[in-house]
Amino acid sequence: MGDERSWRVALVADRYVNPAPGGLDGLAVLAAAGWGVMQLPDDAYRAEVARLLLAEVAEQVEEFSRHGYLFILVGERAGLGEALARVGVAVPPRAVPASAGELSEFLAAQPDPPALAAAEEPTRVRGALPGRRWFPDR
Amino acid sequence: MGVAFVAHCLLNQNSKVREGAHCAGVYSPIVDVLRAKGWRVEQMPCPELAFAGLNRFWAVREQYDTVAFRRHCQRLAAAVAGAIAARAEQGEDIVLVGVEGSPSMGVTITSSDPDRGGRPDWPEGTPEHTGGEGIFVEELHAELERRGIAFRVAGETHALATHDVATERARLESVLDDGDG
Repeated sequence: MGDERSWRVALVADRYVNPAPGGLDGLAVLAAAGWGVMQLPDDAYRAEVARLLLAEVAEQVEEFSRHGYLFILVGERAGLGEALARVGVAVPPRAVPASAGELSEFLAAQPDPPALAAAEEPTRVRGALPGRRWFPDR
Repeated sequence: MGVAFVAHCLLNQNSKVREGAHCAGVYSPIVDVLRAKGWRVEQMPCPELAFAGLNRFWAVREQYDTVAFRRHCQRLAAAVAGAIAARAEQGEDIVLVGVEGSPSMGVTITSSDPDRGGRPDWPEGTPEHTGGEGIFVEELHAELERRGIAFRVAGETHALATHDVATERARLESVLDDGDG
């Protein structure tokens, strides 16, 4: 059985998932480009509701990050930085696009996911520290 | 119209167990129906991802049915129920879109094999699907019932032998339309 995952995940503000009339449909652009989406809580939610949801988002981001998935942030969400900091993850590269073209350009400018880049390094040993080469015993 | 709270993997197939991602990222057949019908989309967390991790094995319901996993699901359900309650208070219809056959996200069909365990090796096509909810959906159902919030359910059906995109779409449309009368 094949697995078609992209290893690319976008944290996406609600307004790009559920755009107002005339707003940018970020979900459609991300879907067409093969990115997975982690939706951020709607700004309309009470702070406590949003805090609980953001905490769950952050825990999942941490798990993805440890496995070499590539992350970006589309839009913004108050409290996201704090939630990510609690699990030791930095806020990923961010864009606040106004058009589908801007978002597509931002996506196209991203590097390969770390997991895929690592898979192309024949000498890399799983678990080796980033930036440090470790050649296994022959 | 209303708000569809969808399983995490329907917007992010990267969260699937290995060999389980049906597409690169967004599972469009479900999302397209929701948007065509004018429903808001809200993504729920993946109960298995943060608990058992990305390298988890394929599993059946019994393997996740532990006090620790239920506690984890109850925490997630409380967070999601807060959002659902906010929408319900605004008079929105609520639909949960799960993943049929999933041990945690099944809405009418889950997976069951009381004997499964040990070395993760079982033949393709092992019968395991059975009627019922996955564990997270069961906990969310209980939390919403406790809060007096009504909802309907629909499911993505890739894991089922009977999977057919047109049927999956028609069932979802039917569930979404149910509240229009």
